[in-house]
Amino acid sequence: MNEYISLCVIKTLALAGAQGLTPAHHLSLPDVARLQSLLSQQFTDLESAYYSVLGLTKLGAAVSDHKQVCRFIKSQLDPTSIDSVFFAAEASQAISGCEIPVSNETRDILLAAVSEDSTMTQIHRAVSALSSLGLPVASQEVVGALTARINKEDNVMAITSALQTAARLSKQAELGGILEEIEDLTARLDDLGGIYLQFEEGLEATAMFVTAAYSLSDHVDMEPPLKEDQVIQLVNSIFSKKSWDSLAEAFSVASAAAALSNNRFHVPVFVSAQGPATVSHSQPTLQLLVTDVMSQPLASANVLVESAYAVASKSIILNQAPFTLNDGVFELNFMSKQPASGYYQFTIAVTGDSRLVANHVELKVKVSTEVAVANMDLSVVDKDQSIGTKTTRVDYPSKAKSSFTADSHQNFAMSFQLVDVNTGVELTPHQTFVRLHNQKTGQEVVFVAEPDSKNLYKFELDTAERKSEFDSISGTYSLYLIVGDATLENPILWNVADVVLKFVDEEAPATIQAKTLYVPKPEIQHLFREPEKKPPTVVSNTFTALVMSPFLLLLILWFKLGANISNFSFSPSTILFHVGHAAMLGLMYVYWTHLNMFQTLKYLAIIGGVTFLAGNRMLAQKAVKRYVS
Amino acid sequence: MSNSVISVISRFLEEYSSSTPNKLKVVDAYLLYILLTGALQFLYCLLVGTFPFNSFLSGFISCVGSFILAVCLRIQINPQNKGEFLSISPERAFADFLFAHTVLHLVVMNFIG
Repeated sequence: MNEYISLCVIKTLALAGAQGLTPAHHLSLPDVARLQSLLSQQFTDLESAYYSVLGLTKLGAAVSDHKQVCRFIKSQLDPTSIDSVFFAAEASQAISGCEIPVSNETRDILLAAVSEDSTMTQIHRAVSALSSLGLPVASQEVVGALTARINKEDNVMAITSALQTAARLSKQAELGGILEEIEDLTARLDDLGGIYLQFEEGLEATAMFVTAAYSLSDHVDMEPPLKEDQVIQLVNSIFSKKSWDSLAEAFSVASAAAALSNNRFHVPVFVSAQGPATVSHSQPTLQLLVTDVMSQPLASANVLVESAYAVASKSIILNQAPFTLNDGVFELNFMSKQPASGYYQFTIAVTGDSRLVANHVELKVKVSTEVAVANMDLSVVDKDQSIGTKTTRVDYPSKAKSSFTADSHQNFAMSFQLVDVNTGVELTPHQTFVRLHNQKTGQEVVFVAEPDSKNLYKFELDTAERKSEFDSISGTYSLYLIVGDATLENPILWNVADVVLKFVDEEAPATIQAKTLYVPKPEIQHLFREPEKKPPTVVSNTFTALVMSPFLLLLILWFKLGANISNFSFSPSTILFHVGHAAMLGLMYVYWTHLNMFQTLKYLAIIGGVTFLAGNRMLAQKAVKRYVS
Repeated sequence: MSNSVISVISRFLEEYSSSTPNKLKVVDAYLLYILLTGALQFLYCLLVGTFPFNSFLSGFISCVGSFILAVCLRIQINPQNKGEFLSISPERAFADFLFAHTVLHLVVMNFIG
């Protein structure tokens, strides 16, 4: 009864766990180190100083030489520029013992920036500077300016700046309107394949949005309208990039990492096995690292296995087993349950903090073991079974003392068992091969040994039937047993015995050439297209003259017929027509030699048009003359 | 047998030279010229080979096209056919002939290579 109830509970929990998304990317310790070193670069101006100092502070790293930084800030400060004052104020706030002197003028400039005529960036920087310098800020006025500005500047970065600004204001101010912008911005995020959620403006915008959203939500103590899956998708987007183009980008990633590991509502958890997720007799404990997105361990968490079942048999082996915390790593001695070798699917739950997100994780654990070959029996069996079989037992790893001979009347047989060294259970590994290697010719033939219903492996070599595989080459073959599997720690390659095979119809043994796959192939000579055979120039010239000759005939005939141009009237249209016509013929020649179709058509249109008009006139005149006469 | 063939031919030639107007004889001379040119081109192709094929085609098609257009012109300007071509004066026929030739030569020049 109890088991039935727990089974139902497990099934529902497993379903719930299976539906949740888990982070695919986070900042591993090397990533954090790389981010830190990028932020620790020598800074050249106030802006880079701001990014470096604040970025390092958010990552929890120390800023080197506070005094020197303070001096640098003070020397670079321009009290008339809002940006300069902002960078200096924020940076000096992060390092200890650095006070920026503020004049009334500066204060007035900052206060004047709080209006709906300044850009969002200016308002944000002015308000942040005022807040960091400890100067009073008229919160309601700021809210008014921000709301007006949001209507004018609708882009993601501007609204993110508004959220950041609102987080610096007094809690009494009406921040509800600005808080609603978080939901609007969330709707603008692009979902890529259900795994990533980011703004099309890029990584910096996404990371700064996350920072601002959690900053404001913490400030007003209201949970941000982000679903768990969305948070994980944002984590994937922000931490998938492992090298950053600019200080601003690195700063945004550091801010997002700090926001996601330390806010009041959502803390994404990253669970991974330390090393490969494998247990065996030599390594019986499964070790897990449970960290936040910045690879900081969550010491206050409780980790337990909700259920674990074998992938092959689906039988449940663990149920609500807790991990123990040992030096920052969560451990569970899995081998104490004596699992059979194979793969197990673990559903792990991390509890202890209501803020944890993605705290149900599926993990595939491999249990590996060592295999031993038992009861290896080799025998030569006569086909007609008239002579009794003589079985030789061979123990691993020694080789059979005498070689076995099998000719076409006999079969060679082998049987053995594969057992788990620790539990004595029979195993059926993925790879159980029998390899016969001819020492003289280098030929090898591989067969598969199959287990029967009682998990006893049998291999029989029928000499007559299999002679094609051996190319009928008789001789001494070394017999090897190959056993391998992903869950075996000791794969076996064992030269069991020598077998002398005698085939009938033996051909002259040809030495097998090792396949020369990787030597240079013979060079291919490219055959260029042979030019067509042309006839000798004499022939072409003769025929050219021959083809031209009918023209002479034509002229003679026309002369004989009395064709003449005595009727040629020298009117302008006639002359123009003939000139145009001659031009068209000339154009044809030029087309053949120089032009393309488009150009020709263009010229033809012009000349043709002129010729047509002139010709029309001329022919009309001729017609009139004909009618009159 | 050959006798009748010869007599038919000689009779035909006689009729032709007497009853055909001069204009048509001029066009006929032109037709003969085109025919001979085309035949010689074809002979070259048979004897020597078709390389370059596009040039041969272009030249041959030019001859064939010109022949056809000239035949059309001859039909249209023949006074005996006036009844069938009432709307087309000889001048109009000649103008059509010229226009069609322009198009033919454009194509031939494109193809001659």
